[in-house]
Amino acid sequence: MSAPIELSDLQQWMQSALIEPKATSRQEIETRVRSTSRLSAVAALGIYQNSYHLRIAACMRDQFPALCYALGEGLFNDFVAEYISQAPPESYTLYDLGRRFAGFLQANRPDLDAPESEPWVDFIIDLARFERQIFSTFDCAGAEDLHLAQLTTPDPDLCVQPSLSVAAYGFPVGDYYHAVRQEKSPQPPEREPVYLAVLRKDYVTHTVPVSFAHFIFLQEMCRGGTVGSALSAVSQQLSQDLARVKLAWSEVSEIRDNWIEAGFFLDRSRA
Amino acid sequence: MTVAPAEKAGITDLPKLGLGLGLRNTHFDHILNHWPDVDWFEAISENFMDSGGRPRQVIREVAERYPVVLHGVSLSIGSSDPLDMDYLQRLKLLAQEVQPQWISDHLCWTGVMGLNSHDLLPVPLTEATLDHIAARVHRVQEILGRPLILENPSTYLDFHANTLSEPEFLRALCERTDCGLLLDVNNVFVSCFNTENDPSDYFDSFPWSRVVQMHLAGHTDCGTHLIDTHDQPVRPEVWALFALAWQRSNGASTLLEWDGNIPSFEECHRELLKAKAYMKGGLAQLTGRYAPMPGALAVSNPVNFLVPDVMAGSAELEDR
Repeated sequence: MSAPIELSDLQQWMQSALIEPKATSRQEIETRVRSTSRLSAVAALGIYQNSYHLRIAACMRDQFPALCYALGEGLFNDFVAEYISQAPPESYTLYDLGRRFAGFLQANRPDLDAPESEPWVDFIIDLARFERQIFSTFDCAGAEDLHLAQLTTPDPDLCVQPSLSVAAYGFPVGDYYHAVRQEKSPQPPEREPVYLAVLRKDYVTHTVPVSFAHFIFLQEMCRGGTVGSALSAVSQQLSQDLARVKLAWSEVSEIRDNWIEAGFFLDRSRA
Repeated sequence: MTVAPAEKAGITDLPKLGLGLGLRNTHFDHILNHWPDVDWFEAISENFMDSGGRPRQVIREVAERYPVVLHGVSLSIGSSDPLDMDYLQRLKLLAQEVQPQWISDHLCWTGVMGLNSHDLLPVPLTEATLDHIAARVHRVQEILGRPLILENPSTYLDFHANTLSEPEFLRALCERTDCGLLLDVNNVFVSCFNTENDPSDYFDSFPWSRVVQMHLAGHTDCGTHLIDTHDQPVRPEVWALFALAWQRSNGASTLLEWDGNIPSFEECHRELLKAKAYMKGGLAQLTGRYAPMPGALAVSNPVNFLVPDVMAGSAELEDR
């Protein structure tokens, strides 16, 4: 079922004209496209070229509302234009549009040659990562049809629910995001290491700040670990005695109970 | 497994569903809370086929109460790239789950060389393209186990290479593949204006016996051209065409699309129900043409309505 060569040729030409409008000559356009009494061939193709960029920018603004606020819509749109020029959409789903955005921002940061990284650039990249984490959680596989753990579920039966993810950030991006959500016009924050767990329960996305030790614990469990292996990871990374870490986990049940009530864990025995 | 209503059926067996609305994220709560008196819903396939969250749950619940049709924007039936088998399998799985009355997409291509423009781009209307697309329609119908329903897209340009009119192309495609058609009445008006063709001629040569469904929508008048923006009420000229199309299609299932500046569910429903006057032979007021907006940055085929308002659906930052 190979395509006719003239079809492939025309489609490759038109797609290139959408992605790189300036690289397409008037003569080429007029050879391919008819003019009408109201619309020249260049103007007719221009409708598709404009719509391509405006359409994707609109989708990206919807996927990164806090980042759009932080940058301002004009600058945000400029970043998106450069992003889709370097990394045109590959997937049939719009949900994939923002997948590579934080990586693009990191690779194209304006302070690459500077001796130290600029805080605002680090913040922008962190915010892009966080918004992607939130966006992905909205529609990923979740625990709505599964058995969440109860307070009585024994530790060996705890495993993380599918939508839970944890990430480390250099700025309080969760606070900033929620301040934008509440229309509080936040200023870019100062550096501050934060660790955020994001999960969906009953189709509502929750953001839960956690400590560094808890981040290590949950990160290990998100990798498929058990409570036992997660406690070992905490012990190793914090250079703490494993027996003391286990004792702290068993004595301070408040954290465990809070997480269970928040829907962090499934009951493995009822899977 | 339950056999879907349209499965293994030809298009003549497909039901006339009445007046339906697009199933949009922004209306989910209203629909689930009120179960409005709407004949049927059309769901954008891509909005639900990969969903592991609320959209998937909503379409399951809606499909239990209403007839549902799946309408895609990413099949890219006219592309010179190979068919995306992963996409088709996901679409098939969704269809097995929600049992749609039929599955539709557009006579268009969305990208080549592994890219996706997220636009519904026009195909050159030639015999060679017809051969190519007919073969792909056959393959898609084999995989889905049901006829494919294809929509006439809104177009903003005409290729010099074209040797067939769009109605001629669609008629030949239907004859070769037994596929059905989704006639977008607004797209006929928009495309004919933009390519300087007469909608009456388009209608006169259209294969009406293949029409399974119709679309209505609003467009933006940019002066030199019209853009299919789906962001406002249906224009009087389009209602006039719909009155004719309703008769010629023998009352095909009709759906209102409203995808930009989406108003409340009730307002969308009221706009849809205006169709009843034209179904009874009413004539649209053709006076009072809307003022054109030259240079307006209108977006054709808007898709950002498919992106959920995740920020609104998030809980406050928690302290645990």
